[in-house]
Amino acid sequence: MQIKLENLSFKYNKKSPFVLSNITYTFETGKLYALKGPNGAGKTTLGKLILGLLHPTSGDIYFDDINAKKISAGKRADSIGYLFQNPDLQLFAPTVIEELTFPFELKKELTDEKRAEINLLLKDFNLSGFEDRYPLSMSLGEKQRLALATIMSRNVDFLILDEPTSSIDSEGILFITTFINGFVNKGGGAIIISHDEEFLSSLNNVTNLHLHGGVLDEKN
Amino acid sequence: MKKIDPRVKLLFIVLLTTLAVLAKDVIYLSIILLLSILINLCLKTELLMAIKRLRHFLGVLLFIAIVQSLTIKGGTVLIPIGNIALLSTKGLQFSLEFILRMSIILLSGLIAASTEGREMIDALLKLKMPYELAFMTSISLRFIPIFSEEFRSRLNAIAMRGIDIKKLNLAKKVKVYAYLISPTISGCIMRSEELAKSMQVRGFRAYKKRTMLRELKMGAIDCLLVVISLLFAGVFLAGMYFHGVLVHF
Repeated sequence: MQIKLENLSFKYNKKSPFVLSNITYTFETGKLYALKGPNGAGKTTLGKLILGLLHPTSGDIYFDDINAKKISAGKRADSIGYLFQNPDLQLFAPTVIEELTFPFELKKELTDEKRAEINLLLKDFNLSGFEDRYPLSMSLGEKQRLALATIMSRNVDFLILDEPTSSIDSEGILFITTFINGFVNKGGGAIIISHDEEFLSSLNNVTNLHLHGGVLDEKN
Repeated sequence: MKKIDPRVKLLFIVLLTTLAVLAKDVIYLSIILLLSILINLCLKTELLMAIKRLRHFLGVLLFIAIVQSLTIKGGTVLIPIGNIALLSTKGLQFSLEFILRMSIILLSGLIAASTEGREMIDALLKLKMPYELAFMTSISLRFIPIFSEEFRSRLNAIAMRGIDIKKLNLAKKVKVYAYLISPTISGCIMRSEELAKSMQVRGFRAYKKRTMLRELKMGAIDCLLVVISLLFAGVFLAGMYFHGVLVHF
């Protein structure tokens, strides 16, 4: 899968300055990108534009040559997963198991096969035995693992992770490092928005992208 | 232009909303609405932005107005379906009054929103309200955008689960919204707890006697505005009484 940005510009309203200006870049699966830049440089904004949570002021985004204008945020989420900086905002079901099952229940896709997949995910993300817990009462690391499990339940091709190490301990960082490296090794693509140089240096084959003054540069 | 005393703004809000509730006549309500728009323009509130946002509620308002039209009988039938009056002059009048009344109340809310939190507290204190209550009132206004932000974030999170909420049928939409209510409220409660803790560490209620950095003082323009608005409200009430368009409780 390819995510192509063509002359992408964005500003929040008519009076505000451009946060992103004329960005042209192509993200590909099988690659790992680290998106860096000072606070307010537009890193999260770029992520939200790709996800369809914000809309470009000008320019286009293409998913495998299909203009993203035609694809809703809900549809884009089938192939792109987004991990919020604050996992509290990502979880809403009363139990861990419902958190994973309810989107499939809504779409009438909760088959026995899907249930088995979800049980496997719980195991992979060290959440076995947590099925009946209230997600928002769990630790930050546990909440982040659950949020990741909800993303992986959709077999996405691409991941956008917003400051994934900002509020977790070293054990959590080790888990997420292994997870990201594994995901990219299996052919997935990932964009990591982060300032954590130590964490970024522990990831394999990272393409460094720097966002500054609304312009995106590749620096290796 | 000198800043208007927040107590005068509070008086505007009380008078406008009271008149809106008491009037049951389209002309009177239209004049009150025009006045609320004029006050909002003079106070340079975010009128246009508010109108843009309110268009989302326009559908709900129209729906209620149509229901009122259907349920209130009387007057000339404008659109009949068999023996049922789909739209009557009386129903139309009631629904218009309802829309005008709601618009006035919403515009009065805009006047309140244009007052800084600190100013609002000062005004309420001057009106002899206990400090804790005045502070709570001001903070409650601050929580409206927080609540909306929490809800929007969770709607985004729903979309990020691959759920296109617009394409769901009503029953499923209700189910999704039910999922969202509990974490949105608990998110707001968590934020309020954080605020309470931060207030405590900054010495809230540490001393019995409070002193103010700024004392509110009513200027000549403020006093003039109070007199004019009270006179206007009096004349308006008298006019409504004599024309028989005052709501009877």
